[in-house]
This record gives sequence, structure tokens and C-alpha cells, in this order.
Amino acid sequence: MDFGEILALAGALATAGGTVAGALGAPSRASLRVQAIGAVALGAAGAYVLASGEAIGAAFHSGVQPALGLDPLSGLFLLTIALVAAPAALFAGETLGEGGQARALAATTGTFVLSLAGFVAARDLSTLLAFWELMTLIPSLAIIIYRRDAEARRGVFAYLAITHIGGAGAWIALLLLAAHGALGGAHLGGALAAPVALAALIGFSTKAGLMPFHSWLPRAHPLAPAHMSALMSGAMIKLPLYALIRVLFEWSAPPGLWVGVTLMAVGALSCLGGVLYALMQHELKRLLAFHSIENVGIVALGLGASLVLRDLGEPAWSALAFAAALLHTLNHALFKSLLFLGAGAFHRMVGALELDRLGGLLRRMPWTGGAFALGALAIAGLPPLNGFASEWLTLQSLLHLGTTGGAGISLSGALATAALAATAALAAYCFAKVVGLVLLGAPRRSECAAATEAPMAMRIAMSFLALACIALGVLPGLLAPTLASLGPTHAALPSGVSLTTPSSGSLPTLGLVLALLALTALLLRLARRPRAAAAPAWACGQAPAPHLAWTSAGFTKPLRLALVVLLRPRREVATVTEGGVIQRIRYSNEVPHLFDTLMYAPVSRAALRWAAAARRLQSGSVRAYLIYLLALLALLLALLQAGVLG
Amino acid sequence: MSAATAAAGALQVLGGVLLAPGIAGTIQTLKARLQGRRGPSPVQPYRELRRLWGKSGVTPEPRTFVYSLAPALVAASTAIAVLLIPIGSVAPDWGVGHDALVLVGLLALARFALALAAWDTGSAFALMGAARDLMLSVFVEVALLLVLLLLALPAGSTDLISMSRAAAAPSAWSAPSHWVAAVAFCVIALAEIGRQPIDNPDTHLELTMIHEGPLLEYAGRDLAYLQWAAAARHWIVIALASDLLLPHPGSFLAQAAALAGGAALLVTALATLETVQAKMRLLRVPALIGSVALLCLLGLASWFAGGVR
Repeated sequence: MDFGEILALAGALATAGGTVAGALGAPSRASLRVQAIGAVALGAAGAYVLASGEAIGAAFHSGVQPALGLDPLSGLFLLTIALVAAPAALFAGETLGEGGQARALAATTGTFVLSLAGFVAARDLSTLLAFWELMTLIPSLAIIIYRRDAEARRGVFAYLAITHIGGAGAWIALLLLAAHGALGGAHLGGALAAPVALAALIGFSTKAGLMPFHSWLPRAHPLAPAHMSALMSGAMIKLPLYALIRVLFEWSAPPGLWVGVTLMAVGALSCLGGVLYALMQHELKRLLAFHSIENVGIVALGLGASLVLRDLGEPAWSALAFAAALLHTLNHALFKSLLFLGAGAFHRMVGALELDRLGGLLRRMPWTGGAFALGALAIAGLPPLNGFASEWLTLQSLLHLGTTGGAGISLSGALATAALAATAALAAYCFAKVVGLVLLGAPRRSECAAATEAPMAMRIAMSFLALACIALGVLPGLLAPTLASLGPTHAALPSGVSLTTPSSGSLPTLGLVLALLALTALLLRLARRPRAAAAPAWACGQAPAPHLAWTSAGFTKPLRLALVVLLRPRREVATVTEGGVIQRIRYSNEVPHLFDTLMYAPVSRAALRWAAAARRLQSGSVRAYLIYLLALLALLLALLQAGVLG
Repeated sequence: MSAATAAAGALQVLGGVLLAPGIAGTIQTLKARLQGRRGPSPVQPYRELRRLWGKSGVTPEPRTFVYSLAPALVAASTAIAVLLIPIGSVAPDWGVGHDALVLVGLLALARFALALAAWDTGSAFALMGAARDLMLSVFVEVALLLVLLLLALPAGSTDLISMSRAAAAPSAWSAPSHWVAAVAFCVIALAEIGRQPIDNPDTHLELTMIHEGPLLEYAGRDLAYLQWAAAARHWIVIALASDLLLPHPGSFLAQAAALAGGAALLVTALATLETVQAKMRLLRVPALIGSVALLCLLGLASWFAGGVR
């Protein structure tokens, strides 16, 4: 038996063992720690397969006999899952506590990790579809176990409804491919390639949370416990992209440039829309959920560019764009799960996560706060962290598209470049707000002033993710050529510590980090002069008061005003006057989610109307149901007679 | 290392670190003369930096390390940005590369650090400036990336040395995209260095300021770092303009001379513009920069339509 197979088997068994033990009544902390060890082994198996470049286990086949195996692409995604799952399980062991609910959540966590790992290891149609459905259903189970209020039920309903209606596209694509033997066989070409591509785009982008099919994501992610949010945002929404890579790059022949361009358009819409609405949120977990849409959009931009560049006959650049997309997938898994775990640690300490009612947590919780700040720098795409490295690669491939394609393609490349540039700037804006309101300044609530540092296991989980963000920011060049070789063109990128493009400059990450660190340290040292005694910041003679401090809505107001046409904010000011004196002023504002009000609300209203009409069929009378059966039978026989069923 | 490379390296450091405050000072002097005032001497910024260097810093309460880290980080990332930009098309290898996108990233890092420092003090004016700066940066970054795309067209690269080589010959001006890029770059440069009509560096009127806002809480060497960084951004813009837009053929000496000529031209242009043009309303600026971005897309279309290449 191959070493990789042993590792994968051991990891799966340990995770399953932890899960079963939790379900049977073992303490949830122990169960989750065993799961974390299992996840480490699974990640090691993924890394082993990725590094060796050799597939293990079964190969893909279009039948329905269950088969499991790993190839390097699956290995990368398995590694991504494990990098999220191991810290998440360690973290959950501290936050869930003990008791029936905690044990149920621990068992759900393990099952979820196994279903995610199962999906990337699936090598046949039935396993693929089974794990696909399982990984959709389990998070809703976790949410229902964790919270039983009406909001949670509504969120879970929206999640299941949208992912299942949209997810039908995934079934259509996979069934069509399997029917033509394209899973692990010859490319599916001809007339079917276009419908399969379209079905795959709709089906997988719904599950990935790409706009305009994203509406479930900001509802479902904030409801789950923090470690589940981390797993959903960090790992689950990446797997539809894995499936999309398989379908569009491996199993079907290129149906035309439009697929790549559509993917780029969807990606640009998602990254801009996601970050814009994230900026307008005032609750931390909901804000982070919108940022997941943004980052999946960035990955989609890279994948779309890779498809277009492949079809234009530029293998090296196509591989570069592919590497950019995969690197960003991995990076996002790291920093987003770090941010969700940080949010969970804050929640555990201070309760509600309304941004305007936090503050000053960096001084009270230096480890958690420091790790959270690093995650914020990384997701904001600032040098020298990992978010910058993958966004740099994506930008380079989009710019290449802009400078070398034909007129139409170059214009779409330029528009995508502009979208990504705006996204990066907006993300920096958003995380300046988040870090400022959560970590810096004076505490705005007594709970924040009394917060204490998280326990050791949680700190280890978050510090590990923060270190991984730094490592991938400093040395992305060690991984990028491997990722590029997984691409459709298998082109080799120059390897080394820096990121290097085929013809457009390089990013010497290590040199930048060293220069930044050395210069900053030197300048800090020089500025260590006698300082005046500390005093409150000048506020025009007023005493600083928490209720006069800047708010999340205030900080983003310039942008809201500049984009008033796009965002259409609602604002209400009601004054209560008595005897000519104003007694009270009530002010409220919100930025409505236009996708919900303009797109989803009409659709769901129409669906409910149709459902009400269809309800009349359900009379409850056995005779009526027998008539339905008879009518269906007659219809099918008639169709058979007419030769429609073939 | 050849003599030209060494000279270019020396000019990068000297120009970025030592000349930069003088450039800002010259603009102020020239502007005062144009307005019929005597105005400060061009060396006034140096005097101010020396004065600040001798003063003690202030620390607001409460604060974290972010407040004291920000000025050093701003100065460090600006200094590295200075080293990224070649003189003409010559520069020594400092180990940080010469990539244009890294330059954009470093400027964003400096902006982010200042915004965090503003949150750390919680000062109302600092946050007002930071919020406006970040809002404008969204539009500026879009336009800047599109300008870089236009300027990368001839070289097919975002490496500043290759871009500078491709723009060296006067024939670069025969492409309409180059003209468009030049116009757009001028507007973005105004936003990046915080000059009229987008921002007014002379005012400390809290309701109008953008870049000066986050500096209000600082004193001593911290403030010296931040003021130097603001001056160094002038150098960055001037060096970029003369590398990527102005013709600079021939030997290194000719290229350095072109840089000096470009600097003189731009200083005069900035002083004149500040004399004749009032500050815009803040919410008009996104429309201005947005139209510049659209202009860039037209320039791109003209390049692919064949243009006059």
C-alpha cells in the first residue's frame, strides 16, 4: 500500500472515529481533538500527493460503482480542507463546551469534514453526487442544532432552497458528462459541450456563492457556530470551484471563448458586489460572509482568464492564471477561516458582534487580536501578506489579457482589471473599518473593557493560520509552479522564491518583506525619543465619550454618498416636537441588498403563488391520487407510443 | 555594476530622500510668486523637518502599538516605493524588484496604516480624513491600474524598466493611447499627492482636508516621517511621469537630464494649476476620476483599433 494511501486512510479513520465517539457520548473536546489529528493526516496525504505528482487509489470512471482516489488537484483541495479543518476542530473543542448540543455539533463537524474530503476523493458519479448533497445538508443540520429561533430556520430554508434549485445545474452537468463517458474518459465535445458548460456554471456558481446566485451565503454563514462558518467559508464554497475546474478544464472540450468570458464577468460582478455590500454591513460575521463572495469572485476571475488564455493559445499565461486562482483559493481558506475563528473568539468573550459596540480588543486580547489583524491585512490584499501575492498573480494575468488579446478580449481584460483594482481598494477600506472598530480605540461596551485572552488551544489554532498567511505571503514562489503544473496546459513556470511571470516582471516577495521589516524597525528605533506624557486625543475640548465615537456607517458614508446611484441607501429621520421644542430625533438608515429586493423577492413571491395554486391538487382523497397515477401512466404510454421517449 | 547603474542608484536615494522636500517647497514658493506673494523659501520644508526632528513625540491615551508603528511603516513603504522606480530605464537591483503593481500595493499599505492609526486615536478629524482618503483611493486605484495597462501596452510588461524603455523614443507619442495615459496620469497624480483641485495641502480647515487629517495627532519625529512621506510621493509621481510618459532617449546622462526637465515642467505645472484652479467639491472628484477611467478604456480601444503606431 502506498504511503499516501495509508495517510489518507488513517486520517479518514481518525476523523470518523472522533465523530462516532462524539455521537456515542464521548466528551466533545476529546472527540474534536481526535478529529483535528485526523484532519492533519488527511492534509498530509493531500500534500504528499501534490508533492509527488502521482495519483493514488482509483481513477475517474463514468459508472456508478463507488470508487475513491486522489490526484494532485484533489490533493491540493484536500490540503486546503485540512488546513481549515484542523484549527477549526481544535478551536471548537474550547468554544462548544460540553453537553448534548456540543456532542451533536462535534459529531456534525466530523461528518462535515469527511463529506468535504469525500467529495474531492470521489472518483465516480454516485460518490460524487452523494458527497455533493451531503456537504450541502450537514451545515444546515449544524445551524439547526446550534440555534432554534425563527431567523435560523428562515436562513436555513433560504440556503437549502437556493442551493438545491441552482444546484440542479450541477446534477445536469455531471449526469450528461457521465452518460457520455466523459468522467475520466474522452472529452465531451460537440453540441453537448455548451449546455454542459452552462449547467455547470449555474450549478456550481450557486453553491460557490457567486453573484447573482449568492443570496443564501450571507444568510447561512453568520448563523452557524464560528468553526462551522470557517469550514463553510474556507472549505465548502471552494469545492464547487474544484468541480468547475474538473468539468470545464478536464472533462469537456472547450465550447468557446464565451465560457471563460462569462466566468470572468460573474467573477467581476461577485468581487465588486461582494465587497461593496460587505462594506455596508455592521455585523462582523455577516460582513465576513459577504467577503467570501468577493474572494470566490477573485478566484473565478483567475479561472475565467485561464480558460480564455488557453483558448487564445497562450499556455504559459493560462497556467499562470490557473496558479493564481488556486493560490487565492488556498489563501482565502487560510485568512477567512482565521477571521471567522477570531470572530468566534470575540463572540465567546463579549457576546454580540455589532461593529459599533466593540472596540479596544487588541489590548485586552493581544494574541487573538494580533492574529485577527494579520488576517485582515491579508484579506485586504496588502503587501507583504499572502492575499497580495495571489491578487498580484491574478492582476498580472488579467493585464496580460488586456495588453495582448484582440480588441474585445482586451477590453474585457481591462474591465476585469479595473474590477479587481476597485475590489482591492474597497477591501482595504472595509478592513480598515473592521480592525478600527473591533480592535482599536476605546472599548465601547463594558464587556469589551473586561475581555480576557482566549484559552491556549484557540490561540494555537489562530496563530497557526496567521503564520500560514505570513509563510504564503513571503514564499509563494515555492508553491506557484506546482499549482501551475496542475493547469490545463501543464506549462512550467520558473521556480524560485519570487513569483515570476513569463514576460511581465516578477514579485520578489522575500526581498520586499525583509526591506519593509528592516526599514520599519530602523525608523521605529530612531523615533524612540522622550515623549510627552500620554493624554487623551484632542476632541475640541470635549471629553471623549463612546457614544460620540465614529461608527461603521459614518466611516463608510463618503463612499455611500459617492455611489448613491448604485447602492440606493434608505434614510429616515423622524423628529418628535412638543410645544415647539424638539424632544426626540429618531434616525435610521440601511443599504438594502438590491439583489434580494429586485431579484429574489419577486421570484419567491411568484413561486409562493404557484405553490398556493398547486396546493389544490392535494385534496387528501385517495381516489384523486389514483386518478393522478392513472393520468400519468396514460401520458407516459402515449409518449412511448409517439416515440418521444426513444 | 556599471557607473550608470551606480549613479542611478545614488540619484534614486538622493532624489527620493533629499530632494523630495525641496520639490514640495519649490512648488509652494512658485505658487506664492504667481499669486503675488513673497511666500516661504524653497528650503522651508527642510527647516520644518529639522525642527520636528528635535521635538518630542506625543502619545494619546488610550492607544496601541499601531499608533506608533504607523509613521515608521508609512515612511518605510514610501522609501521602498522610491527604490522601485528607475532613473530613466536604469536602476540597480535593490532586491525589491521594479514592478508597477508592487508600487500600487506599497502606497495602499501606507494609506491603510494611516487609517488604522486614525482609528487608534479615535480622533474625529483624523477619521474624517482617513475615510475620505480611502473612498477616493477606490476610484484612484481603478484609474491608476488602467493607466498602467495603457503604458504596459508597448512593452507587454508591468516591469518599470521595460515600460520605461518602451516609452523612451519620442515615437511613443504617435500612439493615441500614450496621450490618453498622459492626461489620465496627471489627474491621478493630483489625487495621489493631495493637490488642488482634489485636496488642498495648505489648509488645516477640518471640513475640507483629506490627507492632512490623519496627521493631526502626530508630533516630533513621527510627524517628520509622515511629512517626508508626503513629499516623497511628489518625487514618485515626477519620476514615474518622466520615466513612463516623457521621451528620454540616449545615454544615462541624457535620461537624467530628461528627468530634471520633467521635474521642472511638472513643478511649474502644479504651481500654475494650484493658482488658477479652486478646490473641487469632494463628491465631484469620483466623477472626475471615473471619466478619466473611461477615457483610458477609449485609449485601449484606440490601440487595438490599429491607431497610428
